[in-house]
Amino acid sequence: MESTTSYQRFPKIKIREMKDDYLKFELHSTDTSVANALRRIMLAEVPTIAIDLVEIEANSSVLNDEFIAHRLGLIPLTSTRAMEMRFSRDCDACDGDGQCEYCSVEFHLSVRCDQDQTLDVTSADLISSDPSVMAVDVAARSTSSGYDASDNKGIIIVKLRRGQELRLRAIARKGIGKDHAKWSPAATVTFMYEPDIHINEDLMETLTLEDKKNWVESSPTKVFDIDPNTQHVVVVDAEAYTYDDEVIKKAEAMGKPGLVEIYAKEDSFIFTVESTGAVKASQLVLNAIEILKQKLDAVRLSEDTVEADDQFGELNAHMRGG
Amino acid sequence: MNTQTNHSQSAGNSSSNPGMIKIEETEVEEKVISKVKNTSPPDYEALRDLIRPHIESFDYFVDKGLETMLENIKPVEVIDPHNKNKLRISLENHTLLRPEQDRKALLPNECRQRKISYAGRFLVEICFQYNDTPAVSRRPLSFGQLPIMLKSKLCHLRDASPKKLISCGEESTEMGGYFILNGLERLVRLIILQKRNYPMSVVRNSFRERQEGYTDKAVTIRCVREDQSSVTVKLYYLQNGSARLGFWIDGREYLLPVGLVLKALINTNDKEIYKSLTCCNSKGNGAIGTQLVGERVKIILDEVSGSSFCSRNDCLHHIGEHFQPVMNGMENEKLSNVGEAVLRDYIFVHLKKNDDKFNLLIFMMQKLFALVDHTAAPDNTDALQNQEVLLPGHLITIYLKEKLQQWLYKVKKLIEDEIKKKGDISILSNQEYLIKIMGKASTKSISNAIENMLKTGRLVTLSGLDIQQRAGMSVQAERLNFLRFLSHFRAVHRGASFAGLRSTSVRKLLPESWGFLCPVHTPDGEPCGLLNHMTSTCRITSYYDAQGSLKIFANTIDHIKTELVSVGMVPSQPKLVQAGPPEVLNVLLDGCVIGSISSSIVEKAVADIRKQKLLAPKVIPADLEVGYVPLTMGGAYPGLYLFTSPSRFIRPVRNICINSEENLNNIELIGPFEQAYMEIRCADGGDGGRKDSFPATHEEIHPTAILSVVASLTPWSDHNQSPRNMYQCQMAKQTMAFSSQALQFRSDQKLYHLQVETIDLEDQSRKSDKVLSLFARSNLNKSSHSSIDSDGLPHVGQIIQPGEPYCSTYNTISSKTKQFWLKGSEPVVVDYVAVDGGNLKKPLQKVNVRFRRRRNPVIGDKFSSRHGQKGVCSQLWPDIDMPFSGVTGMRPDLIINPHAFPSRMTIAMLFESIAAKVGSLHGKFIDATPFDSSTKKSNGESSSQSSLLTDELGPMLASYGFQYHGSEVLYSGVLGKELKCEIFMGPVYYQRLRHMVSDKFQVRSTGPVDQVTRQPIKGRKYGGGIRFGEMERDAMLAHGAAYLLHDRLHTSSDHHIADVCSLCGSLLTSLSIQPKEKAVREIVGLPPARTSKKVTCKVCDTSRGMETVAMPYVFRYLAAELAAMNVKMNLRLSSSKGA
Repeated sequence: MESTTSYQRFPKIKIREMKDDYLKFELHSTDTSVANALRRIMLAEVPTIAIDLVEIEANSSVLNDEFIAHRLGLIPLTSTRAMEMRFSRDCDACDGDGQCEYCSVEFHLSVRCDQDQTLDVTSADLISSDPSVMAVDVAARSTSSGYDASDNKGIIIVKLRRGQELRLRAIARKGIGKDHAKWSPAATVTFMYEPDIHINEDLMETLTLEDKKNWVESSPTKVFDIDPNTQHVVVVDAEAYTYDDEVIKKAEAMGKPGLVEIYAKEDSFIFTVESTGAVKASQLVLNAIEILKQKLDAVRLSEDTVEADDQFGELNAHMRGG
Repeated sequence: MNTQTNHSQSAGNSSSNPGMIKIEETEVEEKVISKVKNTSPPDYEALRDLIRPHIESFDYFVDKGLETMLENIKPVEVIDPHNKNKLRISLENHTLLRPEQDRKALLPNECRQRKISYAGRFLVEICFQYNDTPAVSRRPLSFGQLPIMLKSKLCHLRDASPKKLISCGEESTEMGGYFILNGLERLVRLIILQKRNYPMSVVRNSFRERQEGYTDKAVTIRCVREDQSSVTVKLYYLQNGSARLGFWIDGREYLLPVGLVLKALINTNDKEIYKSLTCCNSKGNGAIGTQLVGERVKIILDEVSGSSFCSRNDCLHHIGEHFQPVMNGMENEKLSNVGEAVLRDYIFVHLKKNDDKFNLLIFMMQKLFALVDHTAAPDNTDALQNQEVLLPGHLITIYLKEKLQQWLYKVKKLIEDEIKKKGDISILSNQEYLIKIMGKASTKSISNAIENMLKTGRLVTLSGLDIQQRAGMSVQAERLNFLRFLSHFRAVHRGASFAGLRSTSVRKLLPESWGFLCPVHTPDGEPCGLLNHMTSTCRITSYYDAQGSLKIFANTIDHIKTELVSVGMVPSQPKLVQAGPPEVLNVLLDGCVIGSISSSIVEKAVADIRKQKLLAPKVIPADLEVGYVPLTMGGAYPGLYLFTSPSRFIRPVRNICINSEENLNNIELIGPFEQAYMEIRCADGGDGGRKDSFPATHEEIHPTAILSVVASLTPWSDHNQSPRNMYQCQMAKQTMAFSSQALQFRSDQKLYHLQVETIDLEDQSRKSDKVLSLFARSNLNKSSHSSIDSDGLPHVGQIIQPGEPYCSTYNTISSKTKQFWLKGSEPVVVDYVAVDGGNLKKPLQKVNVRFRRRRNPVIGDKFSSRHGQKGVCSQLWPDIDMPFSGVTGMRPDLIINPHAFPSRMTIAMLFESIAAKVGSLHGKFIDATPFDSSTKKSNGESSSQSSLLTDELGPMLASYGFQYHGSEVLYSGVLGKELKCEIFMGPVYYQRLRHMVSDKFQVRSTGPVDQVTRQPIKGRKYGGGIRFGEMERDAMLAHGAAYLLHDRLHTSSDHHIADVCSLCGSLLTSLSIQPKEKAVREIVGLPPARTSKKVTCKVCDTSRGMETVAMPYVFRYLAAELAAMNVKMNLRLSSSKGA
C-alpha cells in the first residue's frame, strides 16, 4: 500500500481497416487481460436490441410457434439506440412489463401467400414501430461487400405455400449476449499477439538453397520467403504466423535448432472484429470500451469495496492458500 | 378461422452454443436414394428394394397363396346317421377386398389417427356337395376383416406417386411393408428357418434319448408344400445299423421303420432296394460308401420281412392301422387308403409322386450312412448355408390355413351335434340353417386370430406350424428415425428359442453369412448374434420375377431339367439302377432327385448352367441356386443341389468367366448354399491366397456389400476398432432426427424431431374415453384455469404448465365432469387436437391431443459421434469462456477429452474431422466409403495401398493455411492466453441420442411412503426414492460413516417412536388416552400448550412402565405379524449405559 509505483499505461489503438461490419485494429501498450476483456465484452456485454416476446395471432405455416419465435429472436436489428435504451427490468415507465417506448420496440408481421409459388417470409417483412430499429438490411450490406444479392430480400423466417398465413406482433427489447446469444452484436471477435521473429542469419547461411526452400515451405502460412537476389531468407509477413511452431519443428528436424526464434509480443495485439450488422463494427468497439470503463468505475467507486476488503481480507488470504 | 393468441418466449436459455453440428451432411435417406438416379421426381426404387421381401410375400398371399391354401384345406364330410346322406363342405373362391369404411376407401393415415386397423373384408365361398354328386351349391361367407399390408396389391397406396402419398398424409418415401393394427404400425419379424427341401445331416445328443437304441445321428429335411406349410421329417440312425423315419402329427412324433416306408411307397422288391442303397459302395478314390452299407441294408430289409410285410399293400395296411386314430376324418376309410394318406400328408410333402419320395428316401439313407461312416461331415444347422427365412405372407398363409381347417372341423362337430339333438329333421339339406350353425363357430374369429397374431406376435396353435417359437413373430415399426425404421425391415432373427440357450455357438459369426448378413450390425448384449441384419445388397427370392409377374414353377422346372439333360445329366425317370458317388453325383432340384451326373463333367455343367442364368430370355431363372458340392474325403456330402424356391437369401456378384464381349449381363445372383463352394475374389487385385488350381470365377462388386445399410453409413469404418462400429449401429438407431416428413399427420406415442437451432420433442398423449362418457359441447366447464376452451379441449398453440388441466370430459350418465391434468415437470405446447367422430351412429368417442415439448440440450443429455464415441454433456460453457482461434476467431461447439481415443482407437473419427475440415474449406464432398483401397478404380487398377489418407488431406489443409495434421493453436477464452498445446479441431457429425435427463432424473427429499412399512416407495413414476442397498451400506460401514448410515437407513426412512411397556415388554399393548378438555382457556397468540399425551399399557393397566423408543417402523410391523401368529415379542429396555 505504501509504495505506489504507478503501473498506469496509455493504450493506443491504430486502425488498419474499417468497414461497416468489419474492423481490424492494433492495440498497443496494454496487456492480455485488457485485450481479452475487450473481446469478451464485445461478444457478450455490448447491448443490442432483439425480438424477445412474440404474440402469434395466426400461424398456419409448417413451422411451429416457438420455432418461429426463436428464429425471429435471432434476426439482427439495427441497435444504434441500444446504449441509451433501458433494460425492461429496470424500466420505471412501464413497471418492468417491458412494453413501453423506453424499453421496447414493437414489430408487426402479417404475410399471407395467395400465389402458387412458395412465398418467402423474410426479415424485410417485419414492420417496426420505430424507424431507427429495424431488421438489418442484408441486401444492402451484401452488395456493398461484393455479393450479388439482387433477389435477396432479407433473412428468411419461414416459407409459405398457397393459403398459409403468418400474423404476429413482436416486442424487441434491449439485452446482452450473456443472457442470450441473439443479443450478441459480434459475429467474430478475435485477437492475436503480434509475433516477433528473429532469424539466426549465421545459422541460416549454413543451409543450402534447397534446404532453405524446404524450411520456408514447411510453414502452412506464407511467413518467410527467399529473396530472389540475395537468396537470403526474409520475413515477408510476420502476422501470417499462427504460432503453429511448424518452422521450429522443421529446424529441429533438419538438425539446426535455434534457426529461428519467435516470441509473442506481450503488449501488442491485432484485433479482428466482425459485426452482425446490429451495430457498426467501429461503434461496437467504442461501446465495448465504454462498458469496460463503466465496469471499472463500478469497482472503483464502490464505497463498500474497502470495507469489504477488510471484511473478507482474511477469507481472501485463506482462498489464496494462506 | 380461429384466431389464436398466445405468448411464447423465444429460447430463453443462457448463451449456450445452440447448434452442435456445423458441417452439412447428406441425410441418410438421400444417401440410399443417391444410388438410384438423380432424375426428378425421385422414385425411391432402391429404398423399396430394401423392404421388397415383405411386400412380395404378401402380394403372393393375395395373388396365389390364398387360393392354393384353400385348395389344400381338407374338406369335411358329415353323414346323417338317419338317412345316410353325406354332405361334403369345402372352401373355395376367396375374395379379399381393399380396406373400406362406409363404402369409402379407408386410408392408412385415417387408421393411424383413429387407432383402428387397416384391414379388408375377407369372404370365402362355402361349397355344399351332397352324396358325391357333381352338383355343388356355393354360399359366400364373411370371415371378418383381414389386415392388409401397406403398399401391397390390396393397399390403396400401392402405385401412388410421391405427390399422391403426400396428399394422403404419408411420407413421400413411404415404402409400406407393415400393417396398421389399432393405429400402431407393426411388421412381421423375419425369422431364420431350416432351408426347405434339403436333406441335412445332423449330429445331436438329444437324438440318443429318443428311445433305446438310437444314436446321435440323423438326416433331417424340412419339406414345404405348395401352400408354404411344412413338415419336418427326420431319418434316425439306430445302433443296430437300421434307421427310423420320424415325423410329427399334431405335436407328437411318430417313428416308422425305413424298410416299411420304402416298401409302402412303391411296388418294389428287396433286391431293388438293396441295389439302390449299395450303389455308392465302390472302392474308388474318395469313396462315399463302405462295406458296412450292405450289412445295414440287410438288417433294414430283415426288419420288414421278419414282420412278414411283403407287398406294398401289406405295408400300407399296417401303416393305416396304426394311424387311423390320428387321421382326422378318415375313420371310415379303408386301411390302405389311410396308409396312403399318411404318406401323402406327412412324408416328403413337397413331392407329389411316390417314386420321387422313394428316390429321396434312398438318397437320404445314403447320406445318413456316409455320415455314420465318417465319409461325409455333418451339416452345420447354424450356418446360413442351410437356412432360409420366414416371410410375412407365408406365415399368414400357414396360420390362416390352420385356423380355417380348425373352423371346418368345428363346423362339422356343430352340425353333428345339431343332428343328434334335433333328431331326424333333415338339417343337412337346409343350407340356410347350416349357415346359421356355422355362425356359431364365429367366422370373425378367423381374421381376429390373424390380427391378434400380428398385434401380439403370439401364435395360438396346436400343431406348432413347424415353427420353433410361439411368440415374438411381430414387432412394432418404430419411427424414431429413418434408420431405425428401416432396420426393422432388414432384421433377421435367429429364433426366440435360441435366446435362452446357454450355448453361444448359434451366436457365432460364421463365414457362410459373408455378404448376406452384416457382421457389424448386430446389437451387443442379450440378442447379440441372434438378431442380424441383411446387407444392403442382400435380397430374398420370391414368387415374382424381375418383371413383377408370377413365376410359373412347373415350366421352369421342366426347362431346368431339359437344360441339365443337355449338359449330361442322366434323368432318374425311367427308373434304372445307377452307380452312386463317386462316379456319378446325384442331382437334386428343390429336394427331388431328378437324376445323376458323371463327376467328370459336372464342373463344366455347372459353369454352363450359371451362364444360362444370365442369358437374357430367362429360360433358367436368374435366382436359381446351383449348389455344387464337390467330392471330398470327409467333407460335405457331394451332389448337385439346385433350388428355385422362394425365401432364400440372394446377393449379386460379378461372374468373371463370362466374356464381356458377349454383351451379357455379368451380374449373377448367388445364394449362401452355393457361395460356400464358389471362388469369389475381392476386387482389390490380390488373389486372396487362392491357389492357381482354383482360379476365381466370380468377383465382389464392391467390398461394402458385406455391410448393412446402417453400418455402411459410418465413415471410414475400416479404420475403427470393430466393436466401435457395432456401437455406432446401435446408436444411429437411437438418434433424434427427422423422424417423419408427415409429422403433422402422425399420431405415435412419442416422436422426436430435430430442428437446427432448438431441439423439439413431440410427445403424443392420447385420451380415448370409455363408451360411457362423451364430450358435451354445451356443457362447458369453466375451470378455474380457463386453459380449456368451451368444447372441453385446449387450443392449438396453447402453453400448458404441469399440473394444469388440458382436457375435460362430461359423463352424460353420472353428470360429472372429469379433468385430465398434465403430468410431469415440463411445460408443453399443444401441437394438434383432433376429434374422432367414428362412424356416424355413435357419438364422439375419441380425442387426440398432441403435445410438443422443447428440449434444449442440457447437462446430462447423451450425444455421440458416428464412431461409437458416446457421452453425456457434462458442462455447458458460456460462449466467451470457450477457447478461440487467434486466426479465424472460431470457437469450438464441443470439446472432447483426448483420453477418449487411445483405448477406443476410433481413428476414423479423426479422419472425419480432418476430411470435414478440408471439405468445408474446399467446398466439396469427400468420399468416406470404407475399404476404398480394395476397390477397382474406373481405369481398371486398384488404388495404391500405400497412400495414406492423411497424406491426401494434409497438403490440402496446409494449402488453406492450416497445420498439416489438423491441429490449431487456441487461446483461452477466460484468460486470453495461448493454450500451450496443440488442439485438434475440426467438424465432426454429432448425433443427439434419445436418452435425456429430463426423462430419467430421480430425486426426492421427502415423498410418498409405503402403507405397510412406512418406508419410501420405489419408482420414478411415483416420486419414489433410489434404494440405498446392501452394497451402499457396506461402503458406508467401510468408511466408518456411522452417522450417515443411520441417517440413510433410519432417520430418512421409517423412523418411528413407539411406546413400549417396560413392565410387560410389549410393543403393541400401548394405549394412548386423550387428555380431558383443558379447563384453562388458551391465551391467544401463544402456541398451544403441549398436551402431554397419556399412554398406558392395556395389559398392565398402568402407565408406570411406559417408555418411548425410537425404532424402524417395520420393527413394529414385525411385532404385529408375529402376534398374528401367536408369537409374542418381548422387549427388554435398558438405558444406553447398558444393562
